[in-house]
Order: sequence, then structure tokens, then C-alpha cells
Amino acid sequence: MEKRGIYQRYLNRFGWACVAPSMIFFSLFMLYPILSSLYYVTRKWKGMANTFIGLGNFARMAQDKVFQDALGHNFIFMVIQVPLMILLALLLATFLNQGIRRFRGPVRLAIFLPAVTSLVVVSVLFRVLLQSNGLLNNVLLNARLIASPIGWLNDAFWAKVTIILAMTWRWTGYNMVFFLVGLQSIDPEIYEAAEVDGARKFRQFFAITLPLLVPVILFSAVTSTSGTMQLFDEPNILTWQGGPANATMTAALYIYRQAFFVNADFGYATAMSYVVVIISGIFAMVQMRLLGERRAK
Amino acid sequence: MSMVRNWSTGRVVALAILACAVVVSVFPFLWMIVGMTLNPNDVLRGTLIPGREFVSNWVKATENYNLPLFFFNSLKIALLTVVFGLMVNGLAAFGFEKYQSKARDKVFGILLLTLIIPQIALVIPMFRMFAFLQLLDTHAAIILPSIMSVFIIFFMRQNFKMFPSEIIEAARVDGASEFMVLLRIVTPSMQATFASASIYLFLGQWNAYLWPLITVLTDLKKTLPIAMSSMMNAYTIEYGALMVIVCISVLPVLVLFLTMQKQFVAGLLGSVK
Repeated sequence: MEKRGIYQRYLNRFGWACVAPSMIFFSLFMLYPILSSLYYVTRKWKGMANTFIGLGNFARMAQDKVFQDALGHNFIFMVIQVPLMILLALLLATFLNQGIRRFRGPVRLAIFLPAVTSLVVVSVLFRVLLQSNGLLNNVLLNARLIASPIGWLNDAFWAKVTIILAMTWRWTGYNMVFFLVGLQSIDPEIYEAAEVDGARKFRQFFAITLPLLVPVILFSAVTSTSGTMQLFDEPNILTWQGGPANATMTAALYIYRQAFFVNADFGYATAMSYVVVIISGIFAMVQMRLLGERRAK
Repeated sequence: MSMVRNWSTGRVVALAILACAVVVSVFPFLWMIVGMTLNPNDVLRGTLIPGREFVSNWVKATENYNLPLFFFNSLKIALLTVVFGLMVNGLAAFGFEKYQSKARDKVFGILLLTLIIPQIALVIPMFRMFAFLQLLDTHAAIILPSIMSVFIIFFMRQNFKMFPSEIIEAARVDGASEFMVLLRIVTPSMQATFASASIYLFLGQWNAYLWPLITVLTDLKKTLPIAMSSMMNAYTIEYGALMVIVCISVLPVLVLFLTMQKQFVAGLLGSVK
């Protein structure tokens, strides 16, 4: 009995030994940043020196129109881009699953292909393609769909459209793959039964496919919304530092610029990052709860 | 067959939309490959007929923009992240899964909680830390924070679950030490898991932007994404050379994807289960 206890203790210690290296990294690059941010958030930087200002950074945020707009932009990208992309990915997955037999593999591969590019590459590509004398404008002009070039990168409205286009190009195929896996796990007999009952494809999609895919859709929504909350690469490169005139400024980009670019105020930047963390946390909680409810049913 | 026939207009629409999606998805790749051979104006206009500027674009990319250096910087950083990441996260996943205890499960729960923290919230204190340690503008600064990944630990733990504990017990009875069990028995049969984790770690680091952008201060330390990003800040952009750099930075990922599609997608899907 005693021997067994010693052995168990040995195993337990080995377990800790396995976990230890990751705990060291975790403490250094996750725990320590979180704890030290508690200090930064109460401080105001001026040059190299900093002073205690309590909750002053949060009061400043309430006056900061650019930050509020930036959060608003994150929100716009979220409520437009995420549903648009999910719908498109769902459609493509359904068509791919039911519409064709031959070439299914190559077509899936082709549509997934944009997911191999990094966000930086996507931003670079779209910035070149969407120049006012660039390819897309040329195509549209030649097709007589537009009379004069669209300011994809220098018009406040179109710049937002550009970001949405780039994100949709990069992520639709990626999400489609999730949906395809979900679709393939649906028993074909359900569709056959619906067919016998005379339900048309359109109705089958809404009555069978959509409800059965809700968990996967929610998963996509969770990861995509957290992605839009962190939007950084695209507004920094594609629409160049959140331009034109902050029209595509996002929270993450504004925080970065406040900390490392404009006036190196780490305190204010930290305070703003707290707001982003809280918002992301709320979204994650709501979505997880929705997901949990679904699972419970 | 009748199913298909009475849906034929719908089917045509479906095929048309799929065809559009394929064209839109693939076109930018063709355009950037052809772009390597064009002069800047033709890149902008988007000709799909190859030109004759490939050699001069390549020379510009390698000489004016230091492409080989940035490529090897990126490669070195990504590969080191994979090697250390597999060891640290694999070990952790094994520990959490095969030596379960209440205390460690609690620790794991805390790890999972941190998944919702966006990177932008961590980079400011981390920047101060690396500045204090005088490690800014080093490749270590890029590698160290990306070694441990909660997601990878989670993913690998899910896969370790499927490894039967009876085999581990049997090996122990035969006198194998715990470390031998991990090294000689568990690891060899988890190759697919390690492959997926490697791909995930490699992609994350190869594509990393925000943190390298903050820590890299001099030209010689740049990675490919940072190099491309600063090229886009220049007053005049050499589009032909840019396309060379873009293609070179997409190429390894494309090769990984095409040769290891299964593990590539498994890495993505591991999170759904």
C-alpha cells in the first residue's frame, strides 16, 4: 500500500514536470503581461517618465472620438462581414455537397486556396488590385459597370467595403471547409425522407441543413467575431494606417499607434486594450452560452 | 438522378456561383505569379500574359530588398518556433492528459480562459519587458513568446485522449520509464498530431505580423511580412519586385498545404471537436 502511494506521488511529480516548461512560458508571456498591465493602466506617460492618474485613462477614452469611432468600425466590420461570409460559405458548401459530383475535390481545394495566404499578403494583394488605376477598376470600367474609377482605398465608404472584401476573400473558403465537414455528417436519409415528402431543395436547406449545422455555424461566428475585434493587419497595410482619415481605424490599430507610434503612451494604450478585452470577453460568453444551449438540446 | 433533374435551374445557378467562387479565389494567385514577370504598370493593370521582366524583378527583389535574408530570417524563426513549440506543448499536453490531477485540471482551465485575450492587450507589457531585458530587435524576442500555445496544448491533449492508457500501463509493467513511454511509445504513434501541430505553429509564426512589427527595429532583422509591410510604406512601390516577394512568401505555405492537405485541415478542424 505504502509502495503504491510512493508510485502515485512519483507519477504526479512526473505530471508536473511535463507541464512545467509550458508553465514557465505561460508565466513569462501571459501571466506577467496581465499582471503588469494592472500597473500600466493607472499611469500616464510623458516622454520617458510616467505618473499615477488612477482611472484617468478611462476618462480620457470617454472624450476620445477616434477611439470610439474605431470601436464602431470594428462593430461595423463584425455585423456586416461575419454574416455575409458565413452565408456565402454555407451556400458554397451546400452547392459543393449536393450540386456536383465530379471535380468536387479540385473545386473545394480552389475555394480554400485563399486561406494559405497571410493577412499581410492579402492586404498587399488587395492594395495593388484596388488602386484607382488598378485591375478591378479597369475591369469594371471596361464592362461599363461604372462610369468613373471607384476610390477603393481613398474614399471613407469604399475603404470599408475594401476591408470587407479582403476579409471575405481570405476567410470564406476556410469557413466553408468547416461547413462541409458538418454537412457530410448529416445522414442522407433525412434528405431522402424530405424528398419523398415533396420538400424542395430550398425548403430542405432551411428546414434540415441550417438547423443541423447551427453548432458549426456558431463556432465559425465565435472565431470570426473574435477575429474582427482584433483586426489589425488589413487596416494597417491595405488601407494604410486606418485611412483615409481614420475611416478604417480599428481599436487594435489605434492602440498600437498610441503605444508605439504617436506619443508612446503605454498607459492610455493599455486602458484601451482593457476595453477590447472586456468586449471580446462578453462576445465570447454570449456565444458560448448560445452554443451550450444548443448542445444541451 | 430525378433529384437532379427537377432542380436543374437551381443546379445551373449553383454551378455558376461555384464557378465564380473558383475564379475569384484562384485569380489573385495567377495574377501574382504572372506579376513576377511584368513591369510595374502591367502589374497594376493586371495583364495575364507573362512579360519579360522576371530576371530584373528578381534581381531587384534580392539586391534592393534583401529578399534572401528576409526569407531565411522568416524560415529560421518559424522552424525554431516549431521545434520548441512541439517539445513544450507536446510535453504539456501529455502531462495534462495522462497524469490527471485536480490541481493540473484547474491550471488547464486557467490556460483555456486566456484564449479570449486578444494579442493587442499583451504586446504593450511584453514590449516593456523585452525592452527591459534589452532583447528588442532580436529574433529571440519573436520566437520566445510564440513557443507556448494554449490552442496547441488543447489540440494535442484532445489527440492524446485517443491513445489507449492500457498500452502505457503495459509498458510500465515491462519496466519502461515514464519518459521512455512518451518518447518511444506515445510519440511515434502520434505522428499525425505532431504534423498538424507543426503546421499550425509554422503558419502562425511565418505569417506573424503585429509582434514582429513591434520588436523588429532594424532592416537586417526583418521577416517577410515586415519587409512587405515596409515596402508598402515607400513612396514608390516596385510592383514587380513586390510580386516576387509575395510569391516567395506564399510558396512554402502552398507547398505545405498541397503536400499535407489532410494534416493541414486537421489542424483547423481539431478545434471543432
